[in-house]
Amino acid sequence: MFVVLRDLLRYNGEFLAGILMTGVVVAMALLSFVSPYPPLDQFVAPMDVPPSAAHWFGTTSRGQDLFWLLTYSIRNTLAFGLLVAILSRILSLSIGLLAGYRGGWVDRVLMSINDTFIVIPLFPILVLFYFVMRDNMSWVMLAVLTALLGWSYDARLIRSVALSLRHREFTQTAVFSGMRTHEILSREHLPFVLPIVFSTSLNNMNWSIGLEVTLAVLGFTDINRPSVGGMIYWANQHSAVVAGVWWWIAFPVGLVVMLFIGLYLLAISMNEYIDPRSRLERGGGRKE
Amino acid sequence: MSAAMRNPAAKPETADGPVVAVRDLRAWYRLRLFGVDREVKAVDGITFEVRKDEIYGLAGESSSGKSTLVKTIAGAMRPPLEIVGGEIQFSFMDGTMGLNRAPADLVERVRWRHLSYVMQGSMSVLNPVRRIGTSFFDFAFRHMGLDKAGFEAAVVAHLARVNLPASVLKAYPHELSGGMRQRVTIALATICRPQFIIADEPTTALDVVVQKDVLAMFRSIQREMASSVLFVTHDMGVHAHLTDRLGIMYAGRLVEEARTPDVFARPRHPYTRHLIHSLPRIGDDRPRSGLEGTPPSLANPPSGCRFHPRCAFATERCRVEVPPMEQVAPDHRVACFEKDRVEATP
Amino acid sequence: MTGALLELDSVSKTFTRGGLFSRTQVEAVIDVSFRLEAAKPEIFSIIGESGSGKSTLARIILALQTPTRGVARFKGRDLATLRDGADRHAFMAAVQPVFQNPFEAFNPLKRLDRYLYATCQRFAGAKTETAMQEGADKALRQVGLSLAEVKGRYPHELSGGQLQRVAIARALASGPSLLIADEPVSMVDASLRASIVNLFRKLRDELGLSIIYITHDLATAYSISDRIIIMQKGQVVESGDARTILADPKHPYSRTLKESVLEPLAPGERPLFAR
Ligand SMILES: Nc1ncnc2c1ncn2[C@@H]1O[C@H](COP(=O)(O)OP(=O)(O)O)[C@@H](O)[C@H]1O
Ligand SMILES: Nc1ncnc2c1ncn2[C@@H]1O[C@H](COP(=O)(O)OP(=O)(O)O)[C@@H](O)[C@H]1O
Ligand SMILES: [Mg+2]
Ligand SMILES: [Mg+2]
Repeated sequence: MFVVLRDLLRYNGEFLAGILMTGVVVAMALLSFVSPYPPLDQFVAPMDVPPSAAHWFGTTSRGQDLFWLLTYSIRNTLAFGLLVAILSRILSLSIGLLAGYRGGWVDRVLMSINDTFIVIPLFPILVLFYFVMRDNMSWVMLAVLTALLGWSYDARLIRSVALSLRHREFTQTAVFSGMRTHEILSREHLPFVLPIVFSTSLNNMNWSIGLEVTLAVLGFTDINRPSVGGMIYWANQHSAVVAGVWWWIAFPVGLVVMLFIGLYLLAISMNEYIDPRSRLERGGGRKE
Repeated sequence: MSAAMRNPAAKPETADGPVVAVRDLRAWYRLRLFGVDREVKAVDGITFEVRKDEIYGLAGESSSGKSTLVKTIAGAMRPPLEIVGGEIQFSFMDGTMGLNRAPADLVERVRWRHLSYVMQGSMSVLNPVRRIGTSFFDFAFRHMGLDKAGFEAAVVAHLARVNLPASVLKAYPHELSGGMRQRVTIALATICRPQFIIADEPTTALDVVVQKDVLAMFRSIQREMASSVLFVTHDMGVHAHLTDRLGIMYAGRLVEEARTPDVFARPRHPYTRHLIHSLPRIGDDRPRSGLEGTPPSLANPPSGCRFHPRCAFATERCRVEVPPMEQVAPDHRVACFEKDRVEATP
Repeated sequence: MTGALLELDSVSKTFTRGGLFSRTQVEAVIDVSFRLEAAKPEIFSIIGESGSGKSTLARIILALQTPTRGVARFKGRDLATLRDGADRHAFMAAVQPVFQNPFEAFNPLKRLDRYLYATCQRFAGAKTETAMQEGADKALRQVGLSLAEVKGRYPHELSGGQLQRVAIARALASGPSLLIADEPVSMVDASLRASIVNLFRKLRDELGLSIIYITHDLATAYSISDRIIIMQKGQVVESGDARTILADPKHPYSRTLKESVLEPLAPGERPLFAR
C-alpha cells in the first residue's frame, strides 16, 4: 500500500496534483476549528471589504470574514460528500457483491431495483422532497437521500467484478471450506473490489458535492448552515456581482472547482493504477 | 544510427549463422518492497543459440525461468524484469541487446515479420473489445503486402490450418473457448511467416487431439519457410515428437542441451535423467517417483550447482562450485561435475 | 441401494444458452450411469477432451448443479433434494473437490492456512485454535507437508506442486469419503504430476478414499485408475477396467485419443513431426 502510494507520487503527475489540490481544500476545512469567528455570527467584520491583509478573502455584505466563513462552508460541504460516499458505498457494495455472487433470481431482482434507481430523475425528486419537508430538511437527511439515489451505477460495476470472482476456483474452495455467504463476500471478494471502491467514491463525492452546491445555490437546502453553495446563494441574494463584491462569489467558486479537479485527478490516477492495461503501458512496455 | 539499424532487413544474412545467439544472459526481477530489495534470478547466465531451420525446444519444471528467458529474447520485458548482463544477437538486426533498448519503430518493423512471439496465456495479446478479424488486420495487414480481399482470403486459409472456421473473425475473444483463443494467437503469430517464432507453452491449454494438429502446423510452417522456432513447454512428450534440439533448464540455468533424441537416449545430467524417468507411459506399470525436496528459491538459490540439494549424485564440490557447461559429444553440452558417473549408472 | 457410495442413474444435463429469441440447447452430459461401491475404495477416471462434459459431471456430483434428467445419489440420498443448511453441510464434509489450477485454488490476497482452519472448524468439529492447528497439520502430513511449511504463507510464496498438495490437504481435512479431482495435474510438469498421482494412490490405499479423477492425460489415468469411462460430447463411449481399455481401446474415439497422446519415443520409433 505504501509502496503504491510512493510510486504514484513519484511517477504520476496527476496523482501528485490531485493530492496537492485536495490537500489545500482539506486544510481549509481543518482551519475552521481554529476560526476566530463563530460560523453563524454576522456583522462581526466591516462590510464589503475587498481582499486585504486583515481579511484575506475580503468580507461579505453581511459583515462576515469570507476566509473563515469559507473554512466552515467547505468543511460542511466535504462532510456532506463523505457521508454520501460512505452510505452509498455500503449500499453498492452489499448489493453489488451479493447480486454478483448469488446470481440467478437474486441477481435479477437486485439488478432490476438497481436499474430503476438508475433511471429515476434525481434532481426533481430532491427538490420535491425539499418542498415536502421544508424546514425539517436537515443536511443529514439530504445526504441519506442523495446516497439512496447515488449507489446504483457503482453497484453495477461491483456486481460485474463479483460475477467474475464467483467463477474463480478459490470461491469454490471457500465454499467447500464451509464458509458462509457473508464470509465469502466480506473476506474473499471485498478485497478485490476495494480499489474500485476507492476510485468510484472519489467520483461519487464529486457528484454529490456538485448536487448539493446546485441545490444550495438555488436555495433548496438549509440556507442557515454554511456551505459553499449557500454562500453563493447569499451572494446572489445581495447581488454581489452587480455590487462589485466579486470576491464573495469568486473564492467559493474557486475553492469548489479546485476540489472538483483535485478529486477528479485522484480518481483517474487511481483508475490508471487499477486498470492493468494502462499500467502496463505506463510501465514502459510497448503494446504488442 | 546506422543504415542497418534503420532497415533491419538490410543486414546481410549469414548463410548458416544462428538466428539468435544468446551469451551469458542474466535477467532478474528486481523487486523493491518496503525498502527491502529482492532479486529473483530467473535467468542467470544462459548461453545457447537457435540455428536456422530448426525447432529448438526448451524444457524444465514450472518456475525454472523458461518464460522469463523467452520474454527477454522477444523484447517483451516489463519492469521489474531487467537485463543484468549478457548479449542477445539476432541474424536480422544489428546490436548485441536484441530488441531490448531498440528504438520503437525498429521493434515495430522486426515484430511479426522477422520475429513473432506467442505468449503464455492466450488472452493477453487479443484486445477484448476488438473482433478477431480486426486484430488480424491491425497486426498483419501492413506486413503482408496484399489487397483487402487477398488479405482476407489468406487469413481464412491460414485459420483453416489451425482448424478454425472463418466465422471466428467476427467473434470477440471472450466468445471463444480457451483452446480456440490459443489457436487464434498461434495463427496470428505465424501468418506473416516470420523467420523466427517464439512460442511459450502454446499447446498446454489444448486437448491432445487439437494439440497434435497444432504441432503438425508448427512443423509444416517451419519446413515451408525454413524458419526457426524456439518452442517452450514442460511436456517432454511434445519435445520428443517435435523439437530438433532440446535445452533443459533448472532454476534459471541451462543444465543440458543436445539433439532431442540424444537427450532422451543418453541424458547426462541427473535432473534430465529424472525428468525422463518420471514420464508415465500407457502399458508401463513401473511406479514413477516425483522429485524429492522443495523446488529451489530463485531469490535465494542454492550455492554451487543449483540442483545439488535434490541430487543423488551430489558431492562436496557441487555444493561450492558452479559446474560449467561443457561439450561432451557433438551438439551435446552438460553442466555437471559427475556427468560420467551419471552416464555409467543404469 | 445398499453399499453404493455414489450412484449415477442416466444423468443428463442440458444448458440453454442465448436470449429470448435465439435459444440454443447444449447437451453437456447425456445419459451417464455408473456406481462406486462404498466397500471398495477406488480411483475412477473420467477421460475426454475439453467440452465433453467432464466438469459438468463433476459439478453434478458435487451438488453444485442438478441434472436435467436422471438421478445422482450419494449414499442413497438424491443430491437434487439437498437444500442449503445442515444437509448440504453434511454432504460437503463427505465429498470434497480438488481443482485444476493450483494457482487459482486459493485467494491470492489471503493466507493459505485460513482455508485449512476453516475446513477443520466447520466440518471436523475443531473448536479451539489448537484443535484447528492440529487438524490442519494432520491433513498436511498426509500429503507430505507440515503446518510449519504453510503457516502464514500466501499462495504466491509456494510452488505449484506445493499448492496442489495444500489443496488436497484442505479437502482431506473434513474427513471426506469421496474426492473429486477435476484435471488436477493438467497445469503441472511431469515430475510433479508423478508425485500427485502417487499421492492419490496412497490416499486410496491408506485412507480408503474413493477418488474421481478427471483428466485428459491418458498416461496418468492408466497408471493409477481402477476403472475409467471415456466421454465424447457428453456421452460415455467406453467404460470398464482401466488397463484393459487403455491397452486396447475399441471405440474409434478412444483410439483417436490414445493415438494423439505424445509419449517419449521407443527406440527406433520415428517422431510424429520430424523435419
Ligand atoms: N513479474 C514477476 N515478478 C517477480 N517474479 C516473477 C515475475 N514473473 C515471474 N517471476 C518469478 O520468476 C521465476 C521464473 O518464472 P517463469 O519464467 O515464469 O518460469 P517458467 O516459465 O519456467 O514457469 C519464478 O520464480 C517466478 O516466481
Ligand atoms: N453454465 C453453463 N452454461 C452453458 N453451457 C455450459 C455451461 N457449463 C458448461 N457448458 C457447456 O457444456 C459443455 C461441456 O462443458 P464441460 O463440462 O466444462 O466440459 P469439460 O470439463 O469436459 O471440458 C460445453 O459445451 C460447455 O460449453
Ligand atoms: Mg512459463
Ligand atoms: Mg473441465
